[in-house]
Amino acid sequence: MNDTLGIILAGIGDAPFGALKQHRSVAAMPICSRYRLVDFLLSSMVNSGITNVGIPTLSAYRSLMDHLGSGTDWDLDRKLYGLFILPPYGVYRQTDAFVGDIDVLAGITDYLSRSKQEYVLLCGCNALFNMTFYDLHEFHLDNNADITVLCCKQPATDLSSSPRFIALRTDETGRVTDMRARDGLADNEFRSLDVWFMKKSFLEQQIAYCSSRGMHDFAMDVVIKNLKRFKVYAHCYDGYVGNLDSINDFYRENMRLLERDNFTALFCEDLPVYTKIKDQVPTRYTNTANVKNSLVGDGCTMAGTVENCVVFRGVTVEPGAVVRNSIIMQDTHIEAGANLDSVILDKNVTISAGKHLAGQSTYPIVVGKNTVI
Amino acid sequence: MRHNDCVAMILAGGQGSRLGALTNQLAKPAVPFGGKYRIIDFALSNCANSGISTVGVLTQYQPLELNTYIGTGQPWDLDRINGGVYVLPPYMTGKTGEWYKGTANAIYQNERFIEQFSPDNVLILSGDHIYKMDYRRMLSFHQKSGAALTIAVFSVPLSEASRYGILSADENGRIYDFTEKPKNPTSTLASMGVYIFDWKALHKYLNEDEANPSSSNDFGKDIIPAMLADGCPIYAYSFSGYWKDVGTISSLYEANMDLLGDNPVLNLDDDEWKIYCRHTKRPSQYIGSNAELKNCCVADGCVVDGTIEHSLLFSGAVVEEGAVVTDSILFPGAHVCKGAKIDHAMLAGGTVIGEGAVIGADKGVTAMLAESPLCDGGITLVAENVEVSAGTIIGRNVVVSASV
Repeated sequence: MNDTLGIILAGIGDAPFGALKQHRSVAAMPICSRYRLVDFLLSSMVNSGITNVGIPTLSAYRSLMDHLGSGTDWDLDRKLYGLFILPPYGVYRQTDAFVGDIDVLAGITDYLSRSKQEYVLLCGCNALFNMTFYDLHEFHLDNNADITVLCCKQPATDLSSSPRFIALRTDETGRVTDMRARDGLADNEFRSLDVWFMKKSFLEQQIAYCSSRGMHDFAMDVVIKNLKRFKVYAHCYDGYVGNLDSINDFYRENMRLLERDNFTALFCEDLPVYTKIKDQVPTRYTNTANVKNSLVGDGCTMAGTVENCVVFRGVTVEPGAVVRNSIIMQDTHIEAGANLDSVILDKNVTISAGKHLAGQSTYPIVVGKNTVI
Repeated sequence: MRHNDCVAMILAGGQGSRLGALTNQLAKPAVPFGGKYRIIDFALSNCANSGISTVGVLTQYQPLELNTYIGTGQPWDLDRINGGVYVLPPYMTGKTGEWYKGTANAIYQNERFIEQFSPDNVLILSGDHIYKMDYRRMLSFHQKSGAALTIAVFSVPLSEASRYGILSADENGRIYDFTEKPKNPTSTLASMGVYIFDWKALHKYLNEDEANPSSSNDFGKDIIPAMLADGCPIYAYSFSGYWKDVGTISSLYEANMDLLGDNPVLNLDDDEWKIYCRHTKRPSQYIGSNAELKNCCVADGCVVDGTIEHSLLFSGAVVEEGAVVTDSILFPGAHVCKGAKIDHAMLAGGTVIGEGAVIGADKGVTAMLAESPLCDGGITLVAENVEVSAGTIIGRNVVVSASV
């Protein structure tokens, strides 16, 4: 898919992730012991042969830039194209007006016009999947569509919290007959994965049209209002999909991957998921380790009891510590005798000896970055 | 070309025949080590961490996988505009050309490579030693002493001295005697196979050695004795720390096991001196509900449902439910099926051990294999991609080189 330009909208219309998001955009949300959400989208693009990816950013993008670097780890450190992180120019920050994805895209028109690709794959960052876009590309051309949206059958769990939630209905040919934002999902309807395929020239026209008329939202102002005028098709993806729209989703989606079937469905052999390389040692389990049903990143030292947990890279669990049903992010240290249940510990947290902390699976306790308890 | 104070040359052409089936299709430096590394990662990472960014890797035996592994050198930060890592195989010149005849001849054949960088010194390394060493310190010692050659040494017990190249040095560290594997050692200073030569001196002695038809073209046997005989200033640089030649199955096994324990003899978890490697693209390790892991190292992409004790699992190794792995090493992608028992074994990459099979059994052996002279200490080696069928029982000190 050398003819396609990838655009990842990192952190636009971000959902409430509370303390976790203070330091990072949704794209940089950690998932499955060693990844950030954006890794899956980038890997899907790279595995589809896309070699030009632009990531316009809006806020809290240092963490994302730190993660992506020059793009080497995704094979996107190229002479021709490669990875472009596009920080805000300030153009769309001059007023306090509502900022939508159109405003962000209007800020990168130079990048769009300089890229020679014929098509563009415009992606939000709240869905988790590992796929290639060849089918989508072919489907789009077969239907001679103006816009093709990628969607799935899976219902959203927490519809109210997601500003980017879009439900759609199609006719038997796949043409979209109805599309609604921030509204419930009926039985025979699909949920948008916020991945849109179209001609680059079409997108450029729409950006110009909308931004000169005070319109801000791609889905609402370009697609939903013009369902009759444009040929909008929906391509259904039936593989593994996760949705990260809220803090509960973040917890639930990480936990869902502890189920073997989900884990193997997401990580199929021939579609590797690339991520930033940390050069950490293999994880060490000591004589006192008791680890069950968990995903563990590398560079960890496991000496305590860990059950039903997603453990990121470089975590230490001391002897006698007990952690259950929790997400423990990078470089966090859990001292001896600590007892944790249903918590999310952000990066570099220290839980000192003997401390107890328990949330509920429906309401996990979140401990912010660098906190010492 | 920019001036360069030190160029490193890594000798990576050895066959490693004492590693038996592990090196059938693999140069010794490319043999996996420590859960996610390969042996050559140590020499390359030491160079990178020491700020030596021009590195030649001399390959000869089964170089394909090693070449692919080194690639552009990016994982070791050795993809540089000035310098970087270069793979140097033997080559033809006009109508002639030959294999590398010995360690010194390998360097001799690549003199023009070294000359391109006009270095002051040349660091000669082996691609098959496990150690963490700051070559910069040795280089500044070398520069201060004004030596023509500095040899890194470490102390060994007198009883083991006959296995090494043994040096005798005076109180200033100046070497007056060097003997390869002496029968009756008089010193306990062993050479680590790490040399820093003054480039002009090296050039002179390489050419003299090449002109001598009876020479074996070896650093230890020919070059160093010749320099000593001429009275060249040769100094010993003492190194204290972990160093191991992993040339045999038992030493490779031991060095891997040195990574285990609460205070491992060989600690790689060191932010100040990271060992880099080319990574596999595998997801995190998946530890199942019935897994038991005690005192082990597990890399990315492993799936563990069985019991693992005092063992190392390389990336992508799988241990199914009910399987028990003790005191063993599972190389990348090794797969142990349900109920199999693995003890004191090394399972090379891609091996499959069928359900209920036993590797390293003391009795009831069903697959009679001759004990291998390469295996000792009760270690069983299963060669790459070998499949051991369900229920097969294999004893100790054997190499399983074909599917049984």
